Amino acid sequence: MPRIDLAGLKKYTIMFVLLVLMALFSIASPYFLTWRNISNIIIQNTYFIIVAIGLSFVMIGGGIDLSVGYQMSLVGVVTAMIMVVYHWPVWLAVALGLLLGTALGLINGLIVTRIKIFPLIATLATSVIFQGVSYLISQAKSFRNYPEEFLFVTKGIVLGMPFDVFLTLLIVILASFVYYETVFGLRVVALGGNEEALRLAGINTRRLRVALYALCGFLVGIATMVMIAKANTMNSSFGPGTEFIALTAAIVGGVSFMGGEGNVPALVAGVFVLAVLGNGMQLAGWGTYAQFIVRGLILLGAVAFDEYQKHARRTRQKGSC
Amino acid sequence: MNAEHVVEMRGICKRFGGIHALRGVDLELRRGEIMGIVGDNGAGKSTLMKILSGAYRADEGEIYIDGERAHIRNPQDASRLGIGMIYQDLALFNNLDVAKNIFVGREWCHGPLGLLLDKKRMYRRAEELIRELRVDIRSPRLSVALMSGGQRQMVACARAIAFQSKILIMDEPTAALGVTEANKLLSLIRNLRDRGLSILLITQRIPDILAIADRVFVLKGGQRQDVLEVSKVSLDDVVTMIVRGKDRAGDPTADIAYKSFG
Repeated sequence: MPRIDLAGLKKYTIMFVLLVLMALFSIASPYFLTWRNISNIIIQNTYFIIVAIGLSFVMIGGGIDLSVGYQMSLVGVVTAMIMVVYHWPVWLAVALGLLLGTALGLINGLIVTRIKIFPLIATLATSVIFQGVSYLISQAKSFRNYPEEFLFVTKGIVLGMPFDVFLTLLIVILASFVYYETVFGLRVVALGGNEEALRLAGINTRRLRVALYALCGFLVGIATMVMIAKANTMNSSFGPGTEFIALTAAIVGGVSFMGGEGNVPALVAGVFVLAVLGNGMQLAGWGTYAQFIVRGLILLGAVAFDEYQKHARRTRQKGSC
Repeated sequence: MNAEHVVEMRGICKRFGGIHALRGVDLELRRGEIMGIVGDNGAGKSTLMKILSGAYRADEGEIYIDGERAHIRNPQDASRLGIGMIYQDLALFNNLDVAKNIFVGREWCHGPLGLLLDKKRMYRRAEELIRELRVDIRSPRLSVALMSGGQRQMVACARAIAFQSKILIMDEPTAALGVTEANKLLSLIRNLRDRGLSILLITQRIPDILAIADRVFVLKGGQRQDVLEVSKVSLDDVVTMIVRGKDRAGDPTADIAYKSFG
């Protein structure tokens, strides 16, 4: 009997779901399928896509990082203060912000691999620490009035779209390239598939995992710059919550909760499924609270499908041995 | 050192906490031979082979490859010395295709700094390996997750011999296979020996050893008991050595019968 490749099926399902949702909402509201609305959806979700790609590296490698939203909070207030309180050059503030994001990811990676704490718990703990540090530094103040050259990230128009759309597109293309064409990408996927086998193949899996958390932190740093420039203000409450959207989008987009599976185009589709749902429900007058329920149900459904897929594969392997 | 020996292990000791898994084990593998490694559960067979393959480090002892002292600290060191190992659980990646399973960890690269995968070469070589091993796998692009136990075993073999290995270690290769697939694998092992590989074969299936091995190395309680020439021993001799060890092997054997250790 021909066997169905469930991973491949999941990859295309999300694209199909996105198209169906768009068709449904375009029937429900005449405003949905307008260029203005669609471009708004794209522009509003650039930093979610960047965070989701960062998270995907950790998740495909078999880990999880629940602290990404809180990393954004800490990186955000530090970068903002360097620019608007200490008036250091923009390039230096951005460089230090990216460095801090990378360092926070590195800390997560070292805790997970050296102290060997389960990633879910380790990053839950560090998220609380990052938030505490963020509030201590910011004193719960908001920071506004950024230099024009910094605001170019989101206000600068290139080919009719804000610069951050192209930045995000570049990151999407680069991440896809890394996964499909590089030694590093293959090893990330292998790490999530069978860590012990990769170790036996002579790879330092602990170092690789630390690198994944650091890379995630770096991408979170970039996303934070986009978030600040978009809002033109920053305080410690900005960021938290992003991890839920990024995590849901990653799983909906086919990144396995158990690691070893996922691809960038489907991940981006996952972000847009959530965005289209939010936007469409808003236009249909469903309000914010109903969106929470729907998002939660989507996450549950996606994880259940992932589990079903793993179970089916295990059963099939037992059957073939 | 004896020039005839491709591997010599001298006085290998390994402890796990308070347990002595290996106590001063010596092993010599001749060039181009198949040596069976047998012993009851917990005898130390897998531990000894994992030390040779770099998965474990010996607490004491020395290893010589082709007469040269070798320091095997990790699987990469072993690979560089031409040692390939197929683990009992095969150590495959279910989420990758055949070619990627063969090459992961030792990828063929090109481009700046050697960061890019040379996929064309990797898939071509994987296809050649499939042909050389006469394996029933249609394409190197097939996912390992969709394969039978026998096909998976063949992928593990291809992985182990893809990089000019001269010493191949196989841990219970036939344990999860049916009769037909096991016979195919045994004939493949013979072919590999004929191509010049020296093979160490751990198994609980003694008839497999008697069918294809040249010598059989017996371990008991982490100690070497004896090395028997397969042409000069019977199944009962091997089983008696496994159960009683060297010191009591001459005792009457009437109460010991082969019941398949597998």
